[in-house]
Amino acid sequence: MFKKRINKLMDKMKMDEQYSEQSSLKDINLKEQFIDSSLEKNMETFQFIYSIPTNTDVKIRSFKMGGFPKKVAILYISSIIDTKIIEDNVIKALQQNNDPSSKIENIISAESVTILQKIEDILKVINKGNAALFVDGEAEAYLIGAANFQGRSIEKPENEVSLKGPKEGFNEKAMTNISLIRKKIKNENLVVEATTISKRSKNELYILYIKDIVNNELLQNVKEKINSFDIDSIQNLSVLEQLIDERPKSLFPTILYTERPDRASHYLEDGFIVLLMENSPGSLVLPATFWSFYHSSDDRYLRFLYGNFTRFIRILALFITLFTSAIYVAVTNFHAEMVPPDLLLAISANREKVPFPSFIEVLMMETAFELIREAGLRVPNPIGPTIGIVGALILGQAAVQANIVSPIVVIVVALGGLSSFAVGDVSMNFAIRLSRFFIIVSSGLFGIYGMTAIFTMALFYIVSLKSFGVPYLAPMTPRYISSQDTIFRKIIKNENFRPGYLQPKDIEKKAGDTK
Amino acid sequence: MNQSNGKIGIREYVALVILIIGTKLADNTPAILYEKMDNAAWMSPIIIGISSVIPIYFLLKVLSLYPDKGLMDVFKHLCGKYIGYLIVLVLWLIGSFAIIIDSAIYTDIIGTMYFTKTPTLILYLVLMGVSAYGAKKGLEQIGSVALSVIFYIKITLFVALILSFKQGNINYLFPILGQGHWDILKESSLKLSLFGEFLYLGIIASNIKSFKYYRKGTWISLIILTIELPVAIASFLILYDYEPLKLVNYPFHETIRYLSLGFLTNIETFFFPFWLISAFVRFSLYLYLSGMMFGWLFKIKNFEYVIPSLATLFVFLGMIPETPTFQIYHLRDNLLTLITPFYFFLPILLWVIAKLKGETKNDKSDR
Repeated sequence: MFKKRINKLMDKMKMDEQYSEQSSLKDINLKEQFIDSSLEKNMETFQFIYSIPTNTDVKIRSFKMGGFPKKVAILYISSIIDTKIIEDNVIKALQQNNDPSSKIENIISAESVTILQKIEDILKVINKGNAALFVDGEAEAYLIGAANFQGRSIEKPENEVSLKGPKEGFNEKAMTNISLIRKKIKNENLVVEATTISKRSKNELYILYIKDIVNNELLQNVKEKINSFDIDSIQNLSVLEQLIDERPKSLFPTILYTERPDRASHYLEDGFIVLLMENSPGSLVLPATFWSFYHSSDDRYLRFLYGNFTRFIRILALFITLFTSAIYVAVTNFHAEMVPPDLLLAISANREKVPFPSFIEVLMMETAFELIREAGLRVPNPIGPTIGIVGALILGQAAVQANIVSPIVVIVVALGGLSSFAVGDVSMNFAIRLSRFFIIVSSGLFGIYGMTAIFTMALFYIVSLKSFGVPYLAPMTPRYISSQDTIFRKIIKNENFRPGYLQPKDIEKKAGDTK
Repeated sequence: MNQSNGKIGIREYVALVILIIGTKLADNTPAILYEKMDNAAWMSPIIIGISSVIPIYFLLKVLSLYPDKGLMDVFKHLCGKYIGYLIVLVLWLIGSFAIIIDSAIYTDIIGTMYFTKTPTLILYLVLMGVSAYGAKKGLEQIGSVALSVIFYIKITLFVALILSFKQGNINYLFPILGQGHWDILKESSLKLSLFGEFLYLGIIASNIKSFKYYRKGTWISLIILTIELPVAIASFLILYDYEPLKLVNYPFHETIRYLSLGFLTNIETFFFPFWLISAFVRFSLYLYLSGMMFGWLFKIKNFEYVIPSLATLFVFLGMIPETPTFQIYHLRDNLLTLITPFYFFLPILLWVIAKLKGETKNDKSDR
């Protein structure tokens, strides 16, 4: 608390020293006023605010209305609006009107027409893709909804591949995403709440929950957290995720990011809360436990045995990723006796020519693997295969032939690296890859003893984590009433309960009248 | 939404008890038992378990009168401010002494059996460092860790048992009564404090979700331990016979060195991590209990912050004996005998005081 205050003070001092901010008090005052009844004056105001004509895509079109000779002007941002609607349904309709008694909102045929007076509010709505219609002599503006933001259409989710599940993924339009979820949950209790979370960019956040399932306290908690920021702009969910994280420096993620609408809906139906935002091809699910990162949607879509087999492979892969390299280091340095003699001889024969200790050798290879991985991710598509060849040949074969590393290290590191892909979630993947390095270092120091020590500490750390009050390993420990969907899952028929750690309003997943 | 209130469930509690007492089969406790009782030593945990019913029964009875109070407050309530304080102080001293000795033994096991070249101090620091880290996280976390690992620990133990029964000779069990039933009874009753942790666990009775869980959990774990310990201790006998066993300080670790599995001739490194985890959990709970008592004694509300300092102190005290393998062996032997009367008579004494004070009449939980 004290530290925070000092930091704030220091920031302020730095700011005062190096930079004098320009006051925008005049602008702010202007925006707080109401619009005038004179069209000319209004236009002047808005031309000033929108810097017309410097600002090229903000358009003002003034004309005379049909029916009774009144001057009107329409203002919109052409890049985010459906100009066809404006032309056909607004301008044309107004010009061709010949009934002097009809009201403006009756002449216009558009999705929505709202009437506003305050400049600030009008600006907010225009920036969201509405056209503002000003009529001479009226101190109010008609805001016509005709937004048309450009974006991608629905495509397959890229990072969460599923064999049998639906192939639609979230895209960057929040409305599309909400529609995808509504398509899966056709229930009037699904609530989509919108709030503005940033001060300058006015980013909107949609909070989705099922009214008669979600725990009110949890919902309140989440809302308070979301409304607590004082920040200019939050571009998308990935940024928001870090902002609402209770432990931003923690190794383990506590909020689930998924780009699959089917997964998001499944969590919603269990009483979780889902956050959606414009510009984010995904959703945030909270609270999240360790298991939500470990599971994938395919586990549920595959049959009981197949799904659990995948789970088994995944947990095996998780442990292989964490421990193979470390075990190799530990065994070669501290516990050589545990290896069968033939294998031991083979290892030492291979290591004979290598000048580095096995610890350094493994670290080198691990770093190389991480490099290939990162480079492979960032490399432009056309030269992608090159990286593969370079990685495999240079770092694998050539390094062995040059006696930089022994062949067994290549196997060990490759096995660990390969297994690390089995944990699909991006955040958890990072967490595991990073913890692997801790384990390697500790095993280099103390062999199996060090590995166990760090593992136990990690376990203590994990069980002490909480995501919005939910223990990280729930419902395994502490125990809660739930469907026990942890390492393995039950037969779908036997999944009777929603997770008890969320304290949902309705714990049973059945309608209850079939008994 | 506050999901946890610092209380543990029955699963966590049972896992904790089984871990902290069950781990004793893998230190020098079997050696101490075999020293006097020869080949009948495996029976003594059964006798100890059965006789423990008496103190545990009275302890539960007394604690059930005050379901919201921990053991220390019960002492204060029943014995008065000063005597109660004194008893807790003595219990804390004995407990700390036990932690020092036990941790020194565990460090010695790691040092002599696995890491012969690493300096003892470093091994000791890592052991206590990890445990203090765990203890500082709190009881809930210790319980959760215990629950999440106990299954795997017991599986590896089970594998070790099966292997040693397979490779051993069942005839070593006979003559079944060793030196005679009287000796077994006498020696066992002296080592009653093998289950002495039950007394200390009364401290966290009010930190369990309900008193019913505490009572049930205690009985369940007593039964499991009374079965587990004799079987494990007998397995060492079957593998070695009792005379060689007297020469061995840490039978479990010798056993896992001795065992082989198919093409793997040395498999101790498979068992070692699991034993270590249980050791970490055990000392975490010990340190937590010690910290809790210390906090009670010296009126420290956030006693978790004391734990690292206590752990450091224990490390330095535990480093004092120069030949831990022999010194501490005898210290522990004597300590076990020393705690026995406390463990056995204190609960009875408490109950008698409660009875005399007429407090038992308010007991509603039993009816």
